[in-house]
Amino acid sequence: MMFAQALPIPNDIQLPIPGDMGLLTVLLIVTFLLHIVFVNVTISLATGAVILEAIGIKKQSPLYDRMAQICSYHASIHKSIAVVLGVGPILLVSIVYTQYFYSSTILIGKAWLSIILLLITAFLLLYAYKFLWQKLKNKKMLHWLIGFAACVILLFVPLIFIVNVVSMLYPEKWMESNGFFHSLFSYPQVWQRYVHFMLSSFAAGGLYLYLFYTWKRRRNQKQDQNYQEKKADRQIRKIGIKTTFWLTLFQFAAGTFVLFALKREVMLLYMGGNALTTGLLMASIVVTLILLGFLYVTDKKDSYRAFTGAVASFLIVLGLMGWMRHEVREAYLQPHIEDHPRTLEMTTDK
Amino acid sequence: MKFIGRKFDDSTTIPLSSHFPQTVAVTFLRNIHLFIKGVMNLNFPTVEFSWFGNGTIIALIAIVHVVISHGVAIGASTLMVTAEYHAFRKKNLKLDAFARNMAKWILIITTTAGAMTGVGIWFSTTVIQPDSIGSLLRIFFWAWVAEWAVFITEVVLLIIYYYTWDMYKETAKKMKHIRIGIALCIFSWITAAIITGVLAAKLTPGKWTETFSFWHAFFNPTYLPSLGFRTFLALLLAISLVSFFVKWLIKDNKLKEEIFRIFSIWAAISIPGILTTAIWYLQSIPQEAYDLVVYSTGMSEKMFDVINLTGLGVILLFIFWAAIKPKTMPLILSFIVLGASMGFIAEFEFVRESVRKPFIIYDYMYANGVLAKDAEKLNKEGVLTHSTFAETTSVTPDNMYEAGREVYKSQCLTCHTVDGWRSKRALSKRLDGWSEETIKGFIPTMHHVRPVMPPFVGTEKELEALSHYLYNVVNEETNTQQAKEEKEHDVRASAAHPQ
Repeated sequence: MMFAQALPIPNDIQLPIPGDMGLLTVLLIVTFLLHIVFVNVTISLATGAVILEAIGIKKQSPLYDRMAQICSYHASIHKSIAVVLGVGPILLVSIVYTQYFYSSTILIGKAWLSIILLLITAFLLLYAYKFLWQKLKNKKMLHWLIGFAACVILLFVPLIFIVNVVSMLYPEKWMESNGFFHSLFSYPQVWQRYVHFMLSSFAAGGLYLYLFYTWKRRRNQKQDQNYQEKKADRQIRKIGIKTTFWLTLFQFAAGTFVLFALKREVMLLYMGGNALTTGLLMASIVVTLILLGFLYVTDKKDSYRAFTGAVASFLIVLGLMGWMRHEVREAYLQPHIEDHPRTLEMTTDK
Repeated sequence: MKFIGRKFDDSTTIPLSSHFPQTVAVTFLRNIHLFIKGVMNLNFPTVEFSWFGNGTIIALIAIVHVVISHGVAIGASTLMVTAEYHAFRKKNLKLDAFARNMAKWILIITTTAGAMTGVGIWFSTTVIQPDSIGSLLRIFFWAWVAEWAVFITEVVLLIIYYYTWDMYKETAKKMKHIRIGIALCIFSWITAAIITGVLAAKLTPGKWTETFSFWHAFFNPTYLPSLGFRTFLALLLAISLVSFFVKWLIKDNKLKEEIFRIFSIWAAISIPGILTTAIWYLQSIPQEAYDLVVYSTGMSEKMFDVINLTGLGVILLFIFWAAIKPKTMPLILSFIVLGASMGFIAEFEFVRESVRKPFIIYDYMYANGVLAKDAEKLNKEGVLTHSTFAETTSVTPDNMYEAGREVYKSQCLTCHTVDGWRSKRALSKRLDGWSEETIKGFIPTMHHVRPVMPPFVGTEKELEALSHYLYNVVNEETNTQQAKEEKEHDVRASAAHPQ
């Protein structure tokens, strides 16, 4: 019972937020989406490489090995961009939601700092995985383990971020909070969001592969590539588009689990309680169905027009998801923000 | 953009009553509580690294980042592009291969440990000094956004530069490739040019404390000397870093000579630059901070002079040797120079962070996050009522220890440990043998006796609780330590005298 006791929500920093709240909020959503797309691609391609290499080892297939190498090459480039792009949204969330985001960060402080070591290790392993592909040709198991270790870390780190952004929504649970692993199981939504996020990562990775190799094929049409290379490029496009199709289909289930994990009042906003949020959800369902149609045609007919449609609808779904995610946060925090206002102007009190 | 930041209207709103009992009485009580809490900043929860010390965590990450960002991202990139340019003009393929190899390692180091420790400084300050980094973010937000844009450009350029090396081999394209390299160096330097504004402002906010203007904070009195010093030191650091590996790994004597000639040109530019900007810097910091320079390094005045002059001498010797007779230069010398230049940069950061004490933003916020203007108010009303996450809000005869611990967490923990590895900051060492009364008598005066300490804020009762806690926690440690030693002694004695 919260009787008479105010929530442990810190006061805002005494210096004013340096910008228009609307602008900062739009920037937050947009920069987050930019960052997360590259994270998606990094995680999925690194994991994809490890899976393909394992198949290659098992089947003794140079084709799968080559496809795995392609994935690892792209993963290690995109991880650098994912990291630099991540600075923007963290900057913005720190400014816009200081009172909540700082508190939830400090409450899992040690896990939060461990991200630094975890990611340095994972990134170095990814470079070793990529640059030592030829050198470790005869020590395949060792090479595979390097990639596998990098993947395990990359699949774990999102949990820390998810715990942070989920726990910032529940100030009423902060006093009982007891570190990261406790939070992992004591806050609602965490695992549902994780599954939803992971499926989207692999879907994005698949689409990226298809996109890149369609572009490459159109550019290189006149140049002669050796047969093996051509086969690898063609095969990896196929794997990409199929992955995207099936995982996007599963997202209907995963998304529903996230919706039901929200507290009732917020969930109802998405089920008719509020026109905007309900509209967003409806629109995203419709556009996802269209996306599935385009993906299906792209896979069956190798149609460039269908593929353009798929990319366009994917981007729209992405935008809608980012926006809805923001509305969930606002719905949870709005009552607290009224009671614990932000500093918007310079106070001159002494 | 009407939808952003709007409130949900009542018909669709979350029923507040589920979270906040809406009776008049409760609302009233809550408002009273909010009123008492006022606008203080003892706000955030705390994390304790009891052995390492919270300050050490930040320092460790920052030093790694400084060495990589200065030495590798700025300095080594400049050397790399210079080498590529020389290789191109003299058609020296071996030198080109050397530059390419440098590019690979610069890519690997900066996009892993470099990037992550950069983010890490921010992560660690958020966790350990939220008030400070939160305030800096509010002052310098747009500078940070600009920094971010430049940073993205830098990484993208580096990726393009490295991955197009083999594509841009022909004469016409090679020049284009070199230009990408030059752009990369410029953008690396701009990231430093922006962040220096923020870092320098913490020590010398200048007119900002009166005007709260962004430009006053950014172009503060130590901005230019800091930037110059960092730029020249970056080059020197890179020269010593790379020289060590050149000396160690490259066997071709002609190539080695070529490389060292390029390095010595940059050294001739950077060493006078370092000396000039260092003097300029020292002239620009506040007198109180200037007086703390030697003290903050933990050395005696004489030792300080000897160590710094020796370091400088070694670097000069190395540069001349490398320029004139690189073949005969011993590997150990390049190793010592590597140590010396890392020492210099660590010393600079250490001094910059330490001479600022007792403030974290000079004249505005103390090292423990307390705002200078709030001290008086906190002395009257107490810190516990203003600590959002404290488990007790008042001192009673029964909770002296717990209340004291909360006061400790809010004011001491940022820098001190109970029993950490840095003995200067471990209270079990500093307060060894002190009585509770002595501690209580000392704390209100400590900022006079030790100018690096922020003044204690809080009520008389909170002071009592803090003294009670410190006395007990320190003696618990020594008691258990003593008990352990006695036990060991007994075991040894009984083993030596079998029955």
